[in-house]
Amino acid sequence: MQATAIGTVTVTIVLLGAFLYARAVLVHFGADVLNQIEISAYLQDGTSPARTEAIRAVLAHDPRVLSVQYVPKKEGLQQLRRRLKGEIDTSILTENPLPNMFRVRVRTPELVPAVAAEIRKMPGVQYVNYGQDVVGKLLQLVAVARRAGIAVIALFILVAGIIISNTIRLTVFARRREIAIMQLVGATNAYIRMPFICEGLLDGLLGASLAVALLEVGRASLVPRLVAALPFVASNVVSVNLGTLVPQLLLVGAAVGLIASWISVGRFLRT
Amino acid sequence: MISLRGVSLVYPNGVRALDGIDLEIGKGDFVFLVGHSGTGKSTLLRLLYREMAPTTGEITVDGIRVECLRRSRVPILRRHIGVVFQDFKLLTDKTVWENVAFALQVTGAHTRDVIRQVPRVLDLVGLSHKSRMYPGELAGGEQQRAAIARALVNNPKILLCDEPSGNLDPSNTTEIMELLLRINLKGTTIVVATHNQAVVDRMRRRVVRLDNGRIVTDEERGYYFLGLGQSQILSG
Ligand SMILES: Nc1ncnc2c1ncn2[C@@H]1O[C@H](COP(=O)(O)OP(=O)(O)O)[C@@H](O)[C@H]1O
Ligand SMILES: [Mg+2]
Repeated sequence: MQATAIGTVTVTIVLLGAFLYARAVLVHFGADVLNQIEISAYLQDGTSPARTEAIRAVLAHDPRVLSVQYVPKKEGLQQLRRRLKGEIDTSILTENPLPNMFRVRVRTPELVPAVAAEIRKMPGVQYVNYGQDVVGKLLQLVAVARRAGIAVIALFILVAGIIISNTIRLTVFARRREIAIMQLVGATNAYIRMPFICEGLLDGLLGASLAVALLEVGRASLVPRLVAALPFVASNVVSVNLGTLVPQLLLVGAAVGLIASWISVGRFLRT
Repeated sequence: MISLRGVSLVYPNGVRALDGIDLEIGKGDFVFLVGHSGTGKSTLLRLLYREMAPTTGEITVDGIRVECLRRSRVPILRRHIGVVFQDFKLLTDKTVWENVAFALQVTGAHTRDVIRQVPRVLDLVGLSHKSRMYPGELAGGEQQRAAIARALVNNPKILLCDEPSGNLDPSNTTEIMELLLRINLKGTTIVVATHNQAVVDRMRRRVVRLDNGRIVTDEERGYYFLGLGQSQILSG
């Protein structure tokens, strides 16, 4: 009976932990990509140096903006040549087709669309580019992952709580004669409750500990394979560990056990 | 010691088990509560140890107003009251000693007190030599004595007995009643609900008779049957 409760908590916490871990990796990965985003603002040909300087000044003073870098067309071409070296014969470029531009980085990825839209409206700016599609989708994904997380976690915890509470109720029922006598001779409810609360707490903690161990084993054996299969995620996944999740999961297990047993014993004592 | 004023109890299913009970029981009294099955004897006792609260009326037990007692204070009341039942309610997986000690331990008593009090009450009920036995190894009368020991180990001022001899043969019944008398002589107030005629008639104690949830007679030195004394005079 107790094994069932512990097992359920273990399964629940493993699912919860795996979910939270995957979410952490995703958020980390997404943030990594998003943090590298910069807005490229291309200027119209023939924009005066004064106008260019004015744009730079406005951006530099914007609190959302992390850095502004002016890239004149000559330098842009050099960068392009360097980037394409070996792939395309860049000597065919006899004229410079690139406009002057600004590279703008903002403080958080969520600010990118708004700042880009404002830059676009500035006189002298021809168009802006920041990989609109990718950013929009990533931002959406991260937001969904965050929100879905709360719902899924709540569900997991509810299920574990119900199962622990049922187990404790069975224990309480099995000992109802003893409890009735305790009440008859004047034991306080707190005293009667204590062993059941302790049992619930212990079930929760044991289940969570087992789950943490399983998760660590799973992570240690799965992650290297994942990294081997998908090299581009390597740095992100490896740098996310279970560290902060461990105390959180143990706490969840303990709290679920405590609250569930409290409720089920309380209900029994009141009737 | 015990006082009920205008006490009525209606069970959730609508049964009016007690109806306008007025009753005074003094310190050190020994009172029989008699009446047919289903007249409300057990219900009256349940109100005294606050298993339930009355629908109307006032109940005072040892200076405590029972009917308006907060849930958290109920254990305090119960430590002033010992209760004994027909079915003994002993824990079968504990020895006699453990059953008695259990009642002290769960109120948070010190081991020192347990070691002092348990032999005292086991001696009082005459079970010292069987303290290591389990209830299943005891005769009915002995089990009831163990239950009485458990009820007394807290040194309660009041002992409530609901059909204490209901499961016992006549000789065991006599023993239990003599034990209750001895306990009463030490100053404990005792209320015994019973429909055992022989016991009531032999003991000649105060008899409160219930019928249909009401007190119909309250005689100082009564018999089980209503006005038995007078009817004998009439017929003889
Ligand atoms: N828990 C209960 N719920 C509903 N009715 C009850 C309950 N206990 C007793 N009664 C009813 O209350 C009346 C008095 O019962 P009780 O006090 O047990 O009588 P006695 O002990 O004199 O035999 C009976 O009619 C009985 O059916
Ligand atoms: Mg009864």
